[in-house]
Formats: sequence, C-alpha cells, structure tokens
Amino acid sequence: MTSYQVGHGLAFLTVLLSLSPASIGQNQSEAQSPVPGSAIHVTQVLGFEGAKHNATGELKIQVGVMQFQHDGSTAAQVSISSIQDIFVEEGDKQLGGTAMTLGKTAAPYGGGRVVSLFAHKKYDFLTVEYLDNSGGFHGAIFQLEKGQGETFKKTLVANGAHITPPIERTPAQSTLEVKNENK
Amino acid sequence: MKTNKKTSLAGTKTTLGLPGFHRPNKHWGPLAAVILLLGALQLQVFVPTVLAESSTDGISGGARPWSVQVDRVDPGDVGLDPSFGAAIYENLLEELTKTEQFKQVFRSGDRNANDAPGLLILKITVQKYTPGSETRRAVTTVSGATKLNVRVQLATREGKVVQEHVVDGNVRFIGGNLRATHNLAHNVAATLKKSSLPEQAAVLPEKETGNISR
Repeated sequence: MTSYQVGHGLAFLTVLLSLSPASIGQNQSEAQSPVPGSAIHVTQVLGFEGAKHNATGELKIQVGVMQFQHDGSTAAQVSISSIQDIFVEEGDKQLGGTAMTLGKTAAPYGGGRVVSLFAHKKYDFLTVEYLDNSGGFHGAIFQLEKGQGETFKKTLVANGAHITPPIERTPAQSTLEVKNENK
Repeated sequence: MKTNKKTSLAGTKTTLGLPGFHRPNKHWGPLAAVILLLGALQLQVFVPTVLAESSTDGISGGARPWSVQVDRVDPGDVGLDPSFGAAIYENLLEELTKTEQFKQVFRSGDRNANDAPGLLILKITVQKYTPGSETRRAVTTVSGATKLNVRVQLATREGKVVQEHVVDGNVRFIGGNLRATHNLAHNVAATLKKSSLPEQAAVLPEKETGNISR
C-alpha cells in the first residue's frame, strides 16, 4: 500500500466522519419542535450574568423569570419585566469546535476544506437586552436550534417582556451569515 | 628520588582531600559570617524601601484615578446585527476590567455611576462592518473575513471629549463571526491602555475635582 493510497483513505475517512454528525444534527433540529414554556437546550454565548461564556444548558421561562441552568450548576435568572428588547437572527456555524478545526487542517489533499463545505449548521441567535437591579444594561446572546428562536421570543413577550416595535427600529436584516452566502 | 615522589604525592593529597580543604579554609569562617551579616543588613535596608515604593503607588491611586462607564454601542448606519452590538458591549466591559486601567467599570445606565467621582463615558460608534462567513473562511482561507471598524470616544460627563481613536477588529481565519467583537474589544482596551489619560484637574470642573480630593 503506497502513501498516496493511505492519504486518500484518510481524506475519505475524514469526510465520512464529519458528514455523519452534521446530518444527525440536522435531523435532530428538524425533529425538535420547541414547546412554549418548556426548557430548551441552548448555548449561552456571552452576556448572561452569572453564566460562563459558551456554557450549554437549559433555558426556560418560570413565573416571571427567564432562567438559564448550566449542566449541574445553580441557575442564573433575570426578571422578564426587566427585558428591554429581544432579537432573533439566523446564523451559520462550523461543527466540531477546535478539535475538528485541527483535524481539518491536518487532513491531506485539501480534505479539510471539503469537510468544511459540508460540516456546518444553521442556528438561531437570540439576543436578550435587559437591565439589572442597578439599572445597568446587559446584552445576552444565546445560540439555539434553528426555528426555536422566534417561538421563545413569542413566549417571552407573552410573559411580559418588552420589545421595541419593528417600525421604531432601523431596518436591519440578519447579516450573521446570510449576506455573504447570497453574494 | 622515590622519597621525593612520595612527599609530593602526599602534598597533593593534603591539598585536595576533604580534611585538607577544611584546614586551610579555617580562616575564612569569620569572613564568610561577616559577608552574610552584611548581606542580611543590606536586604533589611533595601527590601522595605522597595515595598514602600510599590505600596505608595497603590495607595495614592495615581495610576487609576478615573472610572469609566461604557455606553451602549451606536450601530451607526451600517446595518450592524443586534448580537454584534451586544457582543461588542459585553466584551468591552470584560476587557476594560482586565486591563485595570480604570478604578471602576460601569455598565450603561448603572445608577452607581452617578456618584462616582472622575467618571469618563466610553462611546463606541460603528463606522464600517463587513459581515463574514465562517464557512467561507474555512473553505477558501482568503475570503469571508468579518471586519469591524469603530470610533472610540472617551468623554467627561459634561461631554468634553478627552480621547478619540479609530480601532479595527477582524476575524480572518479560525473562529466564529462573533470572534471579531472580542478582538475589537481587546484592541480598544489595548489602545486606551497605551494612551495616557489626562490629569483630572485639567479636565473636570472645580466642583468635581474638589470631591475627589476629599
């Protein structure tokens, strides 16, 4: 067996491995339909007081509060009435994190680039702007499965969260990924 | 001849052997003790002086007389995503706290900032924004960069601009698009750290300066 064949084999294997979690992830996101009021699995990207960056956990609405509970730790929460505005944007992210990025870089014959082409997934990004007890402004960003953002936003509004009507806002289309994808 | 050899060997042994080493160095004992004593005395004299110098810096607070309140990010007319605005704001708060340049870092609207003496307001206005694509970056390497360009203004409560900078924050290779906001906040904090802040007496009205000295 030559090194050329081994290289091809490795590249094929990397593509195969990367595609499987991507497709599984897509199926899961399609299968999950968020039920209003129930907990949804999210990643707290940043900004939510009392939670670490990129912490995964459950986001739920309880009596008058929005609560985020990181796996096995105490819950951080804010009063829904303190929420000033909510935004939902659609975004696209590469799967696999740092380990996958390193794997893709090491893959021979540009195999990593081929993997990157398929190993990405669309998410909803929920931005919640709220005030703390001393009136300090916070901006928390959560990463949700695609389609869950709008439902959660509606649930928050139904529970008393304040949002700025779209007319008052300057028209801003989500540009996290979409703009470049359309070019 | 034989006798001579033996004597010379014996002589060498006495010099190199352990007992031989101790015997001639007997006189060095008191001298070493004096040197150690002098060293200890020197330490006693110099260490407290250095400590006192460093502690004076901390007490006087001369290095960090200002507090800062970070204003909400002005998205300008570049169509900035709300998540980017929030991320810039939150990352800025973190990075400014890390640099320890300011006595206190307040959030926008924080009531505690009202009583803080020597307060500067940090205003961020986004001038340019190029939304990138993580996938495009990963596939092509050369395209898909997310770019941010902001105007940073440090102003007093009265609106007098103390400092003004233009800072960039990009993500070109590895990382999600929001990584650009982290890089931007880091650059803003580093720029502010590099530039020296003015004396309060020169900038603030007399009333407020009086409050600080109290």
